[in-house]
Amino acid sequence: MNVLSNPLAIASPVAAIAAFSLSWLTSPLAIVIVVSLVVGLLMVVLFGYTSDQKAIAIAKDQLKAHLLAVRLYRDQIPVVMGSYGKILRGTGRYLKLAFKPLLYVIIPITLLMVQIDRYLGATPIPSNAPFLLTVHTTGGDALNDVTLDLPPEISMTAPPVHVPSTNEIAWRVVGSKEGKYEMKIAAAGQAAAKVVRVGSGLARISTVRLRGHFWERMFSSAEPALPENSPIESISINYPDRNIEVAGYGMNWIWLFFVLSMVAGFIFKELLGIQI
Amino acid sequence: MNRLCGTDALVRLRASAVKMQNGRGRRSFYCERQLFAGEGARATRFLLIALIFLPALAHAYAGPGAGFAVLSSFWAIFVAFLYSFYALMTWPFRQLFRFIRRRNAYGKATFERAVILGFDGMDPELADRFMKEGRLPNLSKLRDKGTFSKLRTTFPAISPVAWSTFMTGVNPGKHNIYDFLARDTSNYLPYLSSAEIKGPKRHLKIGKYSIPFGKTEIKAMRKGTPFWHWLGNAGIFSSVIRVPVTFPPEKFQGVLLSGMCVPDLKGSQGTFCLCTTRVSNDKFREGGVRVPIERKNGVCRSYIPGPDSPLAEKAGTELRVAFEIRPEPGSKSARFAVGAEKFTLNVGEYSEWLPAEFKAGMGFTAHGICRFYLKELSPEVEVYVTPVNIDPGHPDLPISHPVTYSIYLAKLFGPYATLGLAEDTWALNEHVLDDHAFLAQAYGNHEDRERMLFDALDKTKQGLCTCVFDTTDRVQHMFWRYLEEDHPAARDVPHSQHPPVIQDLYERMDRLIGRVMEKIDGDTLLMVISDHGFKSFARCMNLNAWLHQSGYLALKDGKSESGDWFEDVDWSRTRAYTMGLNGLYLNIKGREKQGIVDPAEAEVLKEELQKKLNGLIDPASGTVGITGVFIADNVYRGPYTENSPDLIVGYGAGYRASWDSVMGKVTGQVFEDNIKAWSGDHCIDPRLVPGVLFSSHKFIEEKPAIVDVAPTILKLFGLALPTHFDGKPWTLAS
Repeated sequence: MNVLSNPLAIASPVAAIAAFSLSWLTSPLAIVIVVSLVVGLLMVVLFGYTSDQKAIAIAKDQLKAHLLAVRLYRDQIPVVMGSYGKILRGTGRYLKLAFKPLLYVIIPITLLMVQIDRYLGATPIPSNAPFLLTVHTTGGDALNDVTLDLPPEISMTAPPVHVPSTNEIAWRVVGSKEGKYEMKIAAAGQAAAKVVRVGSGLARISTVRLRGHFWERMFSSAEPALPENSPIESISINYPDRNIEVAGYGMNWIWLFFVLSMVAGFIFKELLGIQI
Repeated sequence: MNRLCGTDALVRLRASAVKMQNGRGRRSFYCERQLFAGEGARATRFLLIALIFLPALAHAYAGPGAGFAVLSSFWAIFVAFLYSFYALMTWPFRQLFRFIRRRNAYGKATFERAVILGFDGMDPELADRFMKEGRLPNLSKLRDKGTFSKLRTTFPAISPVAWSTFMTGVNPGKHNIYDFLARDTSNYLPYLSSAEIKGPKRHLKIGKYSIPFGKTEIKAMRKGTPFWHWLGNAGIFSSVIRVPVTFPPEKFQGVLLSGMCVPDLKGSQGTFCLCTTRVSNDKFREGGVRVPIERKNGVCRSYIPGPDSPLAEKAGTELRVAFEIRPEPGSKSARFAVGAEKFTLNVGEYSEWLPAEFKAGMGFTAHGICRFYLKELSPEVEVYVTPVNIDPGHPDLPISHPVTYSIYLAKLFGPYATLGLAEDTWALNEHVLDDHAFLAQAYGNHEDRERMLFDALDKTKQGLCTCVFDTTDRVQHMFWRYLEEDHPAARDVPHSQHPPVIQDLYERMDRLIGRVMEKIDGDTLLMVISDHGFKSFARCMNLNAWLHQSGYLALKDGKSESGDWFEDVDWSRTRAYTMGLNGLYLNIKGREKQGIVDPAEAEVLKEELQKKLNGLIDPASGTVGITGVFIADNVYRGPYTENSPDLIVGYGAGYRASWDSVMGKVTGQVFEDNIKAWSGDHCIDPRLVPGVLFSSHKFIEEKPAIVDVAPTILKLFGLALPTHFDGKPWTLAS
């Protein structure tokens, strides 16, 4: 068939390629690569603006000079040892110079990383796969009073297990249908909910809901804090870790991001002539 | 010394994709301390404490920035640790090896360390006068406690000759350096006597490019073995800084930074650049080029001329670095943009050393450094740019041994001048720079040299530490006119208004000696030497004109003067000619391409010329213009005497070869006034310009000579003297 006479003949493969591209671009690996490049670039630019470039260049040059001195005067032990001391002092000076701009960089990037980790740190619970819901209470008394109220799509597969020594109670449950559900837990007359994601693909996941623990909540939880007067201290779900496959090796996105953003940073610093 | 840029040795570039770091200037640790002072530091400390108490997760999220910092610093420590570990672990074996091979290098040494400071051109008569006036307390201490003497120089009294003799302990007949220039007998043209640079022989042509293959070949023309090689063979370490005629650097046990004769990036001995909006067809006699500045909408654009492209098929395809000047309205300053570097200069101010990368394409880049000096902004714009020096942090030609030594110094102190003749005397001669600008440049280089010296003193607690300072020579060359009442070059300034530049110079050098003396103890021998002294240069003599008028040199029919380098000289009727500063050559049959003097008649001709020139009177003043003419065969001994001039001309005090005569030009007048700023010189009768010898210890020697320094040092370190030495070691007073 003449392709030109029937545009639909090529529309199908183009659509397939487009769909494949789209699916690849929304894959975790593509997201990590793009985020790493962007973060690497932003980090370098921000570092360049917030640091004393001249002082950093001098500190690095001094370090290199002392390294070269070790080589040039290698037969003179006092010079070698003196240079070694200067390298240590120079390293301290360099780290001190790098620290202030790093603060400007670390804070926004840390917040960004936390948000990305919500999506890439763990996968949703696959449907029909059992998982553990664990509640941690403030005292043993409350432990006997905890009840679980599940939506119809979630069902319990075994009776709860009480662990008085750690004030924990755990349920083995399973989701039958993909979706976002709320599981209600009541204790001592107070109720709290925990969201669970069942399915596949990318989703914003909160592995734990906490009472208090500001810093931990900031880095680990994507849900509001439990009420201060609640006997429940935490509600957690054991979501599976998400591993990103690169050359046959599965790894946490953080490692991949760390390496890729460093490589991107080194490339951009050369291109932009910024001292790091 | 004189600066001769006639040679066009090509600097070949090597491919490199590594980017230069941003240029920067000198700094002090005080400035660095300031970085951590104030509110910023307090805030930083607070945040540091706050972060330490964050959960561990925060560190995991630190991202690439922390990674860079940690990796970089860890890498530095790791490499240092490896080096240190290696040095420590192998040190006993190396010591044992050295002990077996060299039998305790310092076992017979009289001193643990010898420090030799070379003050190029320091004059014994001036030093004596200033000491008597109480201006030089530290040199006076050396005189009283140790030695102060005249130091006999070489024939001729020219720096490359004298310093070559200093380092090799032999006469020029054995080290082959007779002047800055030597002549090519096949075409009567000059070439640089100290080194020959040849580009790669093979090229691959791809389209418009001709890609060089192979290494640039740099051949040392100076023969003989520097005495620090003998020390190194015995296991004695040396730090050698900017001793003339050490380019290309040779391998030995120690570190060396090459001095005089290192070319600039163009391959010349220093070509400055005057960028200007003034329209002029005038060319500088030598040493500089004029480059137009284009002014449009308040922005001035120009360029720095660089080396020829190594990829171009045609020679003379110059590489350039463009730059922009934006004068700031209503002020005497302008904003410069040179590549990635942006800076502001006031009128009368120098920039720091800045990187100048000349990109030829296909990854070929020549790495240079230069400084800008803003001369004028209104009504015209004029900027002086120093010769483009080889970048010491990224040397395209080896300028040190090991290669990393120049890089080490650049990392430690920032970029510095590497050109052999780094003080731009020609720019002052051509009125491109004024006195103040020249001195600022010269003393800037001098301060860099001082820093290098003190680092070498710190690093060389045993062995030899030697450093040559050129400032003494350059400043005396350019400011001698202010020492005299009636120098032709300073007649427009009343004597009472002459600035005491040379007195200041000697005082500065004395203060340097004082600081060095604080760094040394009784186990160190300190010597201060100069290669020659100085005298006035008030009258020029064109020896080629005299040879022409006396019938020894003939011009082509109808010509009364020649061009540079003997243009229009009729060689078929010429028996003698001169080029360079003191050499006189016979046009000998079988040696020179168009020689006419029968070798059998050469001796007679030499004696005839000697007789006629010796005691030649300047008719204008009635004083003797030439006080000695020396036949080379009587002065030189050794395997390279065939390359020497036939006669060495010793001008009288106040005289020197004229600027034209040096460049092989025949003029109508034999004697004339020297009205250039270059007003003092030493390329005269060597007996009139001995150097100085100061020493922290007393030597018993009536007539010490520069040729004796090498044997003296070897003897003091307990080494046997090579039999070919011409110098004799001095004896220490008990």
